[in-house]
Amino acid sequence: MSEKPEEKSGIGKTLDFLAGLLTSNPIYKSIFRVGWPNTVLKRMAVMRSSFYMHIFPTKVGKHGLKLKYCWCMGGIVFFLFLLLTITGILLMFYYIPDENRAFQDMKDLQFMVPFGVILRNMHRWAAHGMVFTVMLHMMRVFYTGSYKPPRQFNWAVGVLLLLVTFLLSFTGYLLPWDQLGFWAVTVGTNMASSTPVIGYEGPFHELLGVQIDNDIRFALIGGTRIGANALVRAYVWHCVGLPLILTAMMVFHFWRIRKDGFSGPM
Amino acid sequence: MAQDLKTDQSGYMLMNKPDYPRVSTFPNLVWVILLMMLFITVLLWAVSFVANAPLEEMSEWAKTPNPAKAPWYFIGLQELLVYFDPWIAGVMIPNQLITGLILIPYVDVSPTIQGRYAWEGRKFAISVFTFGAIMWFALIVVGQFLRGPSWQVYWPIIDYDIGGHGWVREGMPLKQGITKLKSMSMGAGATLILGYSFFGMVLPLVIPKMFPKAKLTRALKGYLDVLGPIKYFVVQSHILMILGVLGKIILRLGFNVKYILETPWFKI
Ligand code: HEM
Repeated sequence: MSEKPEEKSGIGKTLDFLAGLLTSNPIYKSIFRVGWPNTVLKRMAVMRSSFYMHIFPTKVGKHGLKLKYCWCMGGIVFFLFLLLTITGILLMFYYIPDENRAFQDMKDLQFMVPFGVILRNMHRWAAHGMVFTVMLHMMRVFYTGSYKPPRQFNWAVGVLLLLVTFLLSFTGYLLPWDQLGFWAVTVGTNMASSTPVIGYEGPFHELLGVQIDNDIRFALIGGTRIGANALVRAYVWHCVGLPLILTAMMVFHFWRIRKDGFSGPM
Repeated sequence: MAQDLKTDQSGYMLMNKPDYPRVSTFPNLVWVILLMMLFITVLLWAVSFVANAPLEEMSEWAKTPNPAKAPWYFIGLQELLVYFDPWIAGVMIPNQLITGLILIPYVDVSPTIQGRYAWEGRKFAISVFTFGAIMWFALIVVGQFLRGPSWQVYWPIIDYDIGGHGWVREGMPLKQGITKLKSMSMGAGATLILGYSFFGMVLPLVIPKMFPKAKLTRALKGYLDVLGPIKYFVVQSHILMILGVLGKIILRLGFNVKYILETPWFKI
């Protein structure tokens, strides 16, 4: 492929020279397998030969780049998840899921830990943001008809991603151990007790001899009311179980997007 | 519908044609992603500087707040508790929502209308989805912003008396707390539910036969023909359930109906 030589201004030439200095030394070349990507071929190579960039195709349809088409929404959901992971790990340094300590740790974050308030705020608002953007992402996929063949199954995986995102946010709600989270989670988990057959207040619960201390709600919160066990369960699901599940599903989601091809007009 | 898309559908996707306008990912898409990440980070940071995450006093299980609200994304379901028993509002409806969403691509009848915004050819699908989405968000707004103590309606701006349950005044809008609710009789309730399910299922099939010339009939018949019996059953039962939820809300608010059908085992 022949490249047509471009007319460069003085600044352009200076930049090229600096980039050349930066990128033609052995250290740069040992890290980035392709040199400075200044030709079409190298630009494609830089995607294909990079571990992280390889998740993207080497070329994309022009329509997909437009904001009005994909709203960038799936990407924003994922980026918020990354931010939540980072701020979440930092929060874990200061938080112990113990009935008598959890709330004090929140207060410490507020008044003692440097930047603790901002850390907690970022985690909280990003979590709300992720729940909201995942809904928006689903709506954009629906309205552009991007769930149609061959992407039916990826849509199904997406719906489960939506569900797991809700659950992640919900389990996190209990952790501050304040009135707000405590009662929200009480209200939420009480609903589980009305599940038909396996909830102690649900229709047909007598069939299996289900009672308050052996039903589905009991399994979720480890007791007959929200207490120390529920806190530990919420913590473990929130910090380990659900993030692992979500990650595994997102990896699959992204892989399928590459395999099915990004949607476009037929 | 053929599913082997490598050979068939994606073969005629415009995007896969050699002359389709494409650009290299680096730097075009990489720029978009970088800017998006910067924008979201700055936005999140800015929000976190001006608004603090809520933290109430320490939890105490003997001190139930009134009202105790679920997080906003579940509050639509909590709002449905006004109209349904918890096993319907909290278990059946969310499960139906999830299955319904998952099934959308599998009952779709216009596989080639994709990759762009299109109303023609998808009128029905878009209407149903939009209707459901509006209901979902409307319930969230009502639950989050209009519900106060004892889950009564509190309009914004209006100044209410403070204190207990004594706030209910003469002539208040929607005095749910003091209106007397009645349930329908067994016979009427059973008839209503069976009739609704039966006619709901059958009418869309019969109407085209009754008015063979109407414009809507042609559209409906065309749709039913591609759908086939199984998909029709799946689609129609989900639509009947969505409309049924709305119907119960109307019966409850307009006619003070508590239960349509009361059996010793379950109540609807
Ligand atoms: C944790 C949640 C999720 C993440 C991180 C995520 C991420 C992404 C990303 C990055 C894309 C690429 C295109 C774009 O940015 O729009 C995408 C596409 C897609 N997503 Fe998601 N998604 C999530 C949830 C969902 C949900 C809830 C649905 C639907 C119910 C869904 C269905 C799809 C489909 C069908 C595509 C392919 C769209 C196309 O080719 O145009 N995803 N997702």
